[in-house]
Amino acid sequence: MPDAPPISPLLFYRDPKAALDFLERAFGFETRLVVETEAGGVMHSESAFEGHVVMVVGPPSHSAASPLDLGGRVTGHVHVQLREGIDALCERARAAGARIGREPEDQPYGDRVFTCLDPEGQSWSFGQKVEAVPPAEQARRSGAARGSAP
Amino acid sequence: MTSAFTPSVFYRDPLAAMRWLEAAFGFETSLLVTDQAGHVGHAQMTYAGGVVDIGGEWSSPELLGPASLKSPASLGGVGTQFVRVRLASGLDAHCERARAAGARITQEPQDQFYGDRTYRALDPEGHVWNFSEAVAEVSVAQMERASGLKFAIPPKEPSDA
Repeated sequence: MPDAPPISPLLFYRDPKAALDFLERAFGFETRLVVETEAGGVMHSESAFEGHVVMVVGPPSHSAASPLDLGGRVTGHVHVQLREGIDALCERARAAGARIGREPEDQPYGDRVFTCLDPEGQSWSFGQKVEAVPPAEQARRSGAARGSAP
Repeated sequence: MTSAFTPSVFYRDPLAAMRWLEAAFGFETSLLVTDQAGHVGHAQMTYAGGVVDIGGEWSSPELLGPASLKSPASLGGVGTQFVRVRLASGLDAHCERARAAGARITQEPQDQFYGDRTYRALDPEGHVWNFSEAVAEVSVAQMERASGLKFAIPPKEPSDA
């Protein structure tokens, strides 16, 4: 896979095939590789979007878990940078059953962003550049907007 | 500028983790935004042309609903994500550097049936990092024979490989 991106996420799901299906319906990703185990699990897959991939694997074992197994806690999060269409994608994701956290909103650094959870609770954010904001202006805006630190 | 998919990893002590990722894996800090208390608000590291976001643990019912972002160190060593890092070359040396910096190597460098050489390491808070480099070109038929696995959706054949 010589076109594989240099750093990419691998997410664990109890039902990886359902997850791959959800990523297609909700986010418009394309499942382009699935390697199954004899037991019907997925040991390797690629869900692709604009040439980049996330790997969906499961069911998890040993030190890996679905957020469903951890009361919704996650140790990772995936950000997807879009070129266009962020509001429409949010509506598509919502209609497919994504739980929207932050609704699409312009951020101080010039991106429009929404966040959501997929059906097993993996955490996603989507962003799209809407305004070129110089670093000094970003700092000024985010300083003005800063509440309590997370 | 950034890749379309950027994984984030969360740490109890993100600044210490970033120093460790620099020493062990050779990552470079490309962005670090801290608040007035010195906590990491947003941090980004780059390596081999890829990007990973680094953050502290947090939760926000308003933004994340029931989700809560945790270090594996707070979950008994369990994680919901691994991060894959693709090297152009030098996998074995990379592994030795990581080991010397204190990485727990959970899988030593080894050639895989799909034509990659890989190793797997845990960082000090328990995130799992999979490193790989391509060492051979292998057809789907060869991979299925060698592994006994079924390629339910096979990769596109070598035209683009």
